[in-house]
Amino acid sequence: MLRLIRTRLSASRWRQCWAKALAAPHFRLTSPSYYITHQKGGYSSQAHEESTSFVKTLFNGQLAPDNVFPFPTVLSGDQTQFLQALVDPCTRFFEEVNDSAENEKLECIEDATLAGLKEMGAFGLQVAEDLGGVGLTNTQYARMVEVVGGHDLGVGISLGAHQSIGFKGILLFGTQSQKEKYLPKLASGETIAAFCLTEPSSGSDAASIKTLAKLSECGKFYMLNGGKIWISNGGTAEIFTVFAKTPVKEPTGEVKDKISAFIVERAFGGVTSGPPEKKMGIKCSNTAEVHFDNVKVPTENLLGELGSGFMVAMNILNNGRFGMASALAGTMRSVIIKAVDHAANRKQFGDTISNYGAIQEKVARMAMLHYVTESMAYVVSGNMDMKVPDYKLEAAISKIFASEAAWQVTDECIQILGGMGYMQEAGVEKVLRDLRIFRIFEGTNDILRLFVALTGIEYAGAQLKNLRTTVMNPSGKTETILKEIGMRAKRKVGIPTGLSLEGIVHPGLDSSAYLVTRAIDLFGEAVESLLLKYGEKVIGEQFHLKRIADAVIDIYAMAVVLSRASRSLSLGQPTAEHEKLLCQTWSHEAFERVRQNLQAVKSAAWNQSFANMKLISNAVVQNKGILAAHPLGF
Amino acid sequence: MNCVKRLLLAWELPAGRRIPRQVAPGRDLPWLPGSSGVQYFWPALVRNHSQLTPLGRGDKEKGREPQGGALVSFDDLFEWACEGDRNKAAFSRAVEFFCQRDIRRRGHVEFIYAALRKMPEYGVERDLEVYNKILDVFPKEVFVPHNYIQRMFNHYPKQQECGVQVLEQMENYGIMPDKQTKFLLLQIFGAKSHPVRKYQRIMYWFPKFKHVNPYPVPAELPRDPVDLARLSLQRIAADLSAKVTVYQMPLTDISEAGKEITQPHIVGIQSPDQQELLARHSPARPVFVEGPFPLWLKKTCVYYYVLRGQPLLPEEKEEAIDLERNFYYPMHLDVDLDRDIWDEEEFDVDEVEEGPLFAMCMAGAGDQATLTKWILGLQQTNPVLSQTPVVFHLTPGPRELQEASDLESGEEEIPQSCRAEREL
Repeated sequence: MLRLIRTRLSASRWRQCWAKALAAPHFRLTSPSYYITHQKGGYSSQAHEESTSFVKTLFNGQLAPDNVFPFPTVLSGDQTQFLQALVDPCTRFFEEVNDSAENEKLECIEDATLAGLKEMGAFGLQVAEDLGGVGLTNTQYARMVEVVGGHDLGVGISLGAHQSIGFKGILLFGTQSQKEKYLPKLASGETIAAFCLTEPSSGSDAASIKTLAKLSECGKFYMLNGGKIWISNGGTAEIFTVFAKTPVKEPTGEVKDKISAFIVERAFGGVTSGPPEKKMGIKCSNTAEVHFDNVKVPTENLLGELGSGFMVAMNILNNGRFGMASALAGTMRSVIIKAVDHAANRKQFGDTISNYGAIQEKVARMAMLHYVTESMAYVVSGNMDMKVPDYKLEAAISKIFASEAAWQVTDECIQILGGMGYMQEAGVEKVLRDLRIFRIFEGTNDILRLFVALTGIEYAGAQLKNLRTTVMNPSGKTETILKEIGMRAKRKVGIPTGLSLEGIVHPGLDSSAYLVTRAIDLFGEAVESLLLKYGEKVIGEQFHLKRIADAVIDIYAMAVVLSRASRSLSLGQPTAEHEKLLCQTWSHEAFERVRQNLQAVKSAAWNQSFANMKLISNAVVQNKGILAAHPLGF
Repeated sequence: MNCVKRLLLAWELPAGRRIPRQVAPGRDLPWLPGSSGVQYFWPALVRNHSQLTPLGRGDKEKGREPQGGALVSFDDLFEWACEGDRNKAAFSRAVEFFCQRDIRRRGHVEFIYAALRKMPEYGVERDLEVYNKILDVFPKEVFVPHNYIQRMFNHYPKQQECGVQVLEQMENYGIMPDKQTKFLLLQIFGAKSHPVRKYQRIMYWFPKFKHVNPYPVPAELPRDPVDLARLSLQRIAADLSAKVTVYQMPLTDISEAGKEITQPHIVGIQSPDQQELLARHSPARPVFVEGPFPLWLKKTCVYYYVLRGQPLLPEEKEEAIDLERNFYYPMHLDVDLDRDIWDEEEFDVDEVEEGPLFAMCMAGAGDQATLTKWILGLQQTNPVLSQTPVVFHLTPGPRELQEASDLESGEEEIPQSCRAEREL
């Protein structure tokens, strides 16, 4: 009862704040901040064009600093002001109204919280203002999500599943009438959206999707049949983005099953959802099976073109990833506060534990991981706002890095808290359980590593092919050829190929900048030798691909941190010296890791090790368990 | 045979200068100013016409001294020198004997031609030292032109041509001359003579062509049929990742019943690509064992068998990888750096018109029982093969060819045992 009153009271106070914020004059983006980056499905469609993506060009051994250096500043003064006006009430809302422990206990979001969120416009942060949304840019959205992630990941998932992927399809591919029909209600939170892709037999394999949509004889609607599992908001949503196979007539005249995307309303009838799943964490978010039994979907609810579902899904997934890094940066920030608080107050042997090296290393690492994640999150969102055409690798990297960094940081926080951390009371174990899912959903980190490595290698391969064509017809391109030859010769000998960040990076960080360029040289050579050794077959060398992905993640992390610290130094911000330390320490560690990973890709000893691991795994799998004899013999 | 030749030689001598004419047509040898008729014509070295002793192999006492007035062809000189073993030492002995016998070295051109002919028989056709030794037979300096008229006309054409022949034979066997050769040629014929020019041409082209064949057949083929099969299969397979498996080692044993049991060797090869192709093959359709097909490695012919599928139906041929397969990462990379720009993209050595090729083997016997063992071995690594019907399309094979070659010489080594062929 007391709690209820408190909630009411704080809610009303927050409401006043919010109203004030909205009343303030502000400017909105005129064009939508979300857009479709690749029109074609498949992955090889873009490989042959030169890219400006920092990560992609790394695979070619080149440095394309434009998207990372200087640190993207995309918000105008007004936009910043508007954002600031939103962040404060939102933070207060989560501190005062939302009760994450209660949400978890109830396994749903409290009504008061939900109402508050709706009022705040949290369900339509990126929907244009004229359609009832808040109309935030990606960077603004990231900042808001950071607040949510810092307080309650369960709520974050609910909101994310709703707007980051749930109705992102309508934002990206919807027709004007579809937008007008659905977005206002979705933005206000009156209806909730869900993204229905996963099926029992289909995780990332598009070919094994069983849900089927058949055009009715009258040609006015599709009959949708099938079942989807593990759908976030599956039990609460009214609007579903559903992917189903549809027979499509190819230009050759042959009929082929291709995937199409549909907007399905629960009101169409025939849509049922299972009971909420019992999960490890994010318990307040609803996850359920959704079944479609002869659902009549009108033809105008087709999302995108018939048969273009694959491209729709890929775009939604690539576009929806960027928010996760900033949400997790928020999580890390709040977890670190808890760890540091404990470290500063807990006394052992007459000294606070924060004075012991073991703890200091942990805290420093936590701070670095947070710094990297945060930098990555805002570089990626900034790139998206800058309308950089190719950011999907960066987005995937930020998701991989953030989810793993957050896990480490929270894990170490529990370690610092010791026995205290293991207790529910401290509230950290819940965070650990909640964020575990981030390494799994929207493409597990393992799969995204393959995505990063393979997409990059494909690009490098295409560039190599281009180079070969140039060498075959060298007329007038002698300079290019000489440059390439020179670069490779230098790489082979191990001297710097002349990549430089001089003039781009603050002079105080030259040593870190050198490490970045050195790492790029090593990386370019490793990728090329891998490509020349395995050719197309590299696709099957997942041991190598993982290490390539790890290396590129570290290089990208080094670059974003360098960019951010460099900006701070240049602007003479008060924390600049601290950021310099973070940057230098991180660069040193990351570079060592890059070198190790790349050595592993090339060395024969490691290849032997990989082969051994295959054998070990096969033996254990075949034995359905541990094969080695027990040391006691029974 | 030799007797008859000798008789003929002797018989023709008084009749005229027919044979000698061919030797040195119409030119007196200048270093023998007083020479006349019979004396300088070689091989009719006749000291005593009446003593026409045939040089029988059993006639040891006289056989040791072939120059003892007998009419001897150069072939016999070699016969005499060989003493059973035909080797380098015997060959060198014959050459040395010729050089020591006559200070003037009469008949050296004929001797050199004979020596060139005899080289393969003595197994020295690839020995540079021996070639130099043969060139050393030429008298030095006498054929070097001394004035411009001599230089203008073909000075000692017969000798020059002979010198060219020596180099020609070296060239045919791929022997590169050395400094010693050059020195000898300059000494014998002088600079700018035909043999020296020939030498220069060889020295120009040989280094250029030395490594022109990236896949040379080794000079010495392995004697062991298993090794030979391994080598041949690797040559045909054209895939470095292809794996050679010895399914059965050759074995000859006496069974308890006293019967001789011969176990022919079976050596097979399969590349990962082929394995993949076979795995994709529908078990409903049969696969075929075909052969034997010949493969020539220099002078040796070996036979191999292939396992192939039915010719592909046009609709089956194109199994395009669906680009829209995986939501998260590409399943297929469009980087084919193996192929060069001018390579034909359509052609794949394993997926040919006559049906995909799954594996190859060489066996000591071409009968179905042996080849079945090969298929059984293949089943270990290709499980799909145990559900697939296997049809044997075996042709009678190389029987005739083999027998003919057996008659000709025992040099050619054919691991295909005749006995097994006859069983077919």
